[in-house]
Amino acid sequence: MYTEPLQNATLWLERGLNKLFSQKYNPFYYHGALPNFFIWALFISGLLLFAYYQPTLATAYASVRYITYELPFGNLFRSIHRYASDGMMIFVILHMFRVWFTDRYREYRIVPWVTGVVLLIITFIVGLSGYLLIWDQEAVTLANMTFNLVGKTPFVGAALAEALMAGKMITDYTLTRMMFLHLGIPLFMMFMLWLHYLRITRPVSEPPLALVVMLSGVLFLFSAAFPVELGVLTNMSDPAAAPLLTAVSPNVYFDLLYAWPQYLAAHNVAPLLVVLLVIAVPVGLLILPYLQKKALRDQFAVVTRENCTGCSLCYNDCPYEAIEMVDRGNDGTRFKRLAVVDPGRCANCGLCVGACAFKAIEIPRRDTNNVLAEIEAALTVS
Amino acid sequence: MTTENPKLIGLVCERSVDFKGHLDDEGNMLDHPSVKIIRVPCSGQIQPVMLETALKNGANGTFALGCRMGDCHYREGNKFCRDRLIGKRMPKLKPSVDKRRVQGYWLSAVEYDKLSELVGQFVEDCKSLPAPEVKSTAKAAK
Repeated sequence: MYTEPLQNATLWLERGLNKLFSQKYNPFYYHGALPNFFIWALFISGLLLFAYYQPTLATAYASVRYITYELPFGNLFRSIHRYASDGMMIFVILHMFRVWFTDRYREYRIVPWVTGVVLLIITFIVGLSGYLLIWDQEAVTLANMTFNLVGKTPFVGAALAEALMAGKMITDYTLTRMMFLHLGIPLFMMFMLWLHYLRITRPVSEPPLALVVMLSGVLFLFSAAFPVELGVLTNMSDPAAAPLLTAVSPNVYFDLLYAWPQYLAAHNVAPLLVVLLVIAVPVGLLILPYLQKKALRDQFAVVTRENCTGCSLCYNDCPYEAIEMVDRGNDGTRFKRLAVVDPGRCANCGLCVGACAFKAIEIPRRDTNNVLAEIEAALTVS
Repeated sequence: MTTENPKLIGLVCERSVDFKGHLDDEGNMLDHPSVKIIRVPCSGQIQPVMLETALKNGANGTFALGCRMGDCHYREGNKFCRDRLIGKRMPKLKPSVDKRRVQGYWLSAVEYDKLSELVGQFVEDCKSLPAPEVKSTAKAAK
């Protein structure tokens, strides 16, 4: 399978990181939890920026300049907000690649994968709208090109661009709309995160405290040592006259992640092609799980009713919420409950087998009796 | 009293250490021929009774092998297995089991060299332990 070399590469990388961080604090083992840390950092630092930001064409740039150069600690908060957003992007993408490379993205994990793709789109929208809010020359250029590109989308382009701009052209309302996207869409993100965790019994949603403290320190010191600068605004009156984004300016390190479509468009790639490329990314990610052959062939754990005592050990241990304890009715036993497996959720992993002390649950691909027989056979021969 | 050639049983998660090219036809390790490897889909499937069965039938030692802590493919299998071995999770290993004969290793697919070293150490340790008494001879002879 094509993922095997990718998985081994990941494991070699982690082997090295284990030596550096120790197994307990290896950030690769918290790749899903670390974006949550950045969400908190972004929320807290964003609150202050929200208090001082003014979403109008005439004052947006000035208010950001006030935050950056005059408000006490304003630039520290702005820098934290900025670097935390970069950290979020990095770890969200790392999370995506790791679950892909280690084959944890399909079959019984399809719900987390699909909601993850939606979350990725949301993250990009939040990032882009946040960037536009600054309304310096780069933001103005990016805004123009983004709205132009969106307008080139087949069928829905014009309506979509109008919805984004809150009108047929860039006005004060455009910035208000961006502000809504930047603050409102993260609320939708919380809902998607709930769906993301829905089928996971004990999601690792927060990194260990030591890692949080370390990351907070790094974020704080980095922001203090390298405060972000504010770009210039050359042509406030006529945003449409802004120059094209032909070169990557030195302070768009990670911005290329969402500026690449505009960059392509500026280099004479047909707008329709660029739009299709943008759409192809999430669509490709959604198709990805179906490109591989099913590994489990629709097998799932089987409960032996006569042996089940209704003790809930398998129910407690199942990591995918696939076991339910139901009322077993009056079936002649003295037990009240019975474990029932939901085939759609079962990962066929055997964790329930390990939890069962009564030989009441088995996975078809590895029967406990076979394992015991193999152990006995191995010892009888010698 | 010592044991010359201790027999070990390893219950191994399919996704942890990759044994490709390290096993003979019988499933014994080439580096340590007295160590028999038995595979299960996840270390979380290993019941304490499996390890107890191995010891009861005359194994000098037995170990569970899972992925790195934090990296279980099925999220929590290795953690549960470890907790059962150290008696923190039901079903537990029986208190009467000689803990010197039970080990748990947690290594990823690319760490065969490390496992071989650890198992070699375990084999050496088992040599200094007395030969186990086979409790269920009747069953083994069947």
